[in-house]
Amino acid sequence: MSTPMPVNILMVDDQPGKLLSYEAILGPLGENLLKANSGREALEYLLKTDIAVVLMDVSMPDIDGFQLADMIREHPRFQKTAIIFISAVHLTDVDRIKGYERGAVDYISVPVIPELLRAKVTVFAELYRKTQQLEKLNRELEQRVAERTEELRESESQFRSLANCIPQLAWMANPDGSVFWYNQRWYDYTGATSEAVNGWEWKELIHPDHVEQVVAGIERAWSTGEPWEDTFAIRGKDGSYRWYLSRAVPIRDVNGKIVRWFGTNTDITDRKLAEEALVKSERFAAMGRLAGIIAHEINNPLEAISNAFYLLRDHPSLDEEARYYSKLAEEELARVAHITKQTLSFYRESQQVVAVSLAEVLENVIELQARRLQMNGITIERRIETTGKVQGYPVELKQVFLNLIGNAIQAMPSGGRLRVRLSKSKDRRTGRSGVRASICDTGTGICPEHAKKIFEPFFSTKDAKGTGLGLWISKGIVQKYEGTIRFRSIYNAQGSATCFSVFIPTLSTSETPEIAAALVA
Amino acid sequence: MPERRPTILCVDDESNPLVLRKLVLEKAGYEVITARSGQEALEILASRVVDLVLSDHLMPGMSGAELAQQIKSQRPKLPVVLISGVNEMPAGASVADAFVSKVEGPDVLRNRIAAVLHGRGNASPTTS
Repeated sequence: MSTPMPVNILMVDDQPGKLLSYEAILGPLGENLLKANSGREALEYLLKTDIAVVLMDVSMPDIDGFQLADMIREHPRFQKTAIIFISAVHLTDVDRIKGYERGAVDYISVPVIPELLRAKVTVFAELYRKTQQLEKLNRELEQRVAERTEELRESESQFRSLANCIPQLAWMANPDGSVFWYNQRWYDYTGATSEAVNGWEWKELIHPDHVEQVVAGIERAWSTGEPWEDTFAIRGKDGSYRWYLSRAVPIRDVNGKIVRWFGTNTDITDRKLAEEALVKSERFAAMGRLAGIIAHEINNPLEAISNAFYLLRDHPSLDEEARYYSKLAEEELARVAHITKQTLSFYRESQQVVAVSLAEVLENVIELQARRLQMNGITIERRIETTGKVQGYPVELKQVFLNLIGNAIQAMPSGGRLRVRLSKSKDRRTGRSGVRASICDTGTGICPEHAKKIFEPFFSTKDAKGTGLGLWISKGIVQKYEGTIRFRSIYNAQGSATCFSVFIPTLSTSETPEIAAALVA
Repeated sequence: MPERRPTILCVDDESNPLVLRKLVLEKAGYEVITARSGQEALEILASRVVDLVLSDHLMPGMSGAELAQQIKSQRPKLPVVLISGVNEMPAGASVADAFVSKVEGPDVLRNRIAAVLHGRGNASPTTS
């Protein structure tokens, strides 16, 4: 055991001789002995040094021992300082009690028994030492607590920064499943306030079709402690729903007991839409390819039959009736040929793309339809603001506009106005730049019931003349260019009008339609 | 002196289409000989003169485009017209002088052939 630190013992007596004798008695203890001749000196010492024990004569000329004790005790610092009174005078119990009340801790009567004095001083010196040690330990502890608290604050601040800057929505729940914390993104997305969503109120934000499934899954997780995963739609602050892939993992303590759940929701809306679009476009492309192959196969016997009817034309052995049947058959066959020709636009043989000027294509088509325009009494208004160069296949692009302009003309059998416009544009949704062509007619418009179906195959609002494939094929062609085709019918005081708008993105030099086609085909 | 009728070598692997095409061309005033394959066509060309070759494109063995290439490498001035079930000239067929789609019908076929022969300065056929 190491030698203990010496503490300061203050001995107060007006008689130096007595001080010396105390010194002699206490010397062997190895503590620091300080001598004061008067109360004043004693106070001076007390203010300058840390005194463990004060040894004092009760009766001194300039000051009463008890009064000195009072003065000492006035100072908050010395309220616990041990004071041993040495009294020559016999003290009554009453006096002693008075002393104890002053916080004095012990008495020694004269004549002083050295062992007794040493024993009592030792006790209080030890007490003082222990108290000092305790205080030191306390301070160290407080220091460590402060450091830890700082570390924790730092760590919490880092956690918060992390939690609030990850793109996911994140949350924490108690073991019973009630959520007590959301990250900032959660609040930003849902527009909820913290009071509204704690506990179980988050259920309100889940799409009604999914709530049941989600709650069942999550309750199963809470009870089994198994990590949870689910995909469902969550309502944003604008009222619309987005798809989220949600996960939660349990956090366990050292004993394996779950103390909380940590969960995230990752926005997969774009991915889901892209997947759906890909599936749709793959299906569409596969259908188109199939249709094209069939059409191509049909064309062989078709040509043979057409040739046969051609030969029957004006054949001398046919009477008028037979010639009539032959003519009808030839006409119907021409329709079949028309259908296969349109369907074949899906069967694109690998060729080189060229730069196609949509302005030229539009002009070309208008020229081709010039007679019909004139016959129906339709005026044309052109607004061609750009050459509209796109990389592609001229025949199929021409087919799109033949179809749209043809439809527009058919919508105005007794005259009207055809407006053709071509301009540079940006797709509102994707931000891609490209060319926009719009074909507007002043026909009777497309009613809402038809509007839903006009891009479907074999849907036609015309009489027997239409194949019902035109718009379906046009849309298919436009989609191969990663473009869009939309329409709108408006009805106002001036009448009605329908506008079809085709947007074709212009590709950068590094991309080519082969790549786009490979993605689609 | 009556003008010689132009002779067309008509090639197709399928029998009925071949016969009907031949009849249509004869009705248009041409003389027509037929071959059932590219190989047969080349053999015929080795032994007699024709004014135009009209060949189906998709055939087993040698395709119409390959036949056109072979013909052009030996007889660059001999016009070759390809006919096929697709809408546009197939790849590798650009060596041919013209392309006709089967959906376009016999009238277009006649006109296209006449145009090619006329462009070559050959005598136009007598019409029926």
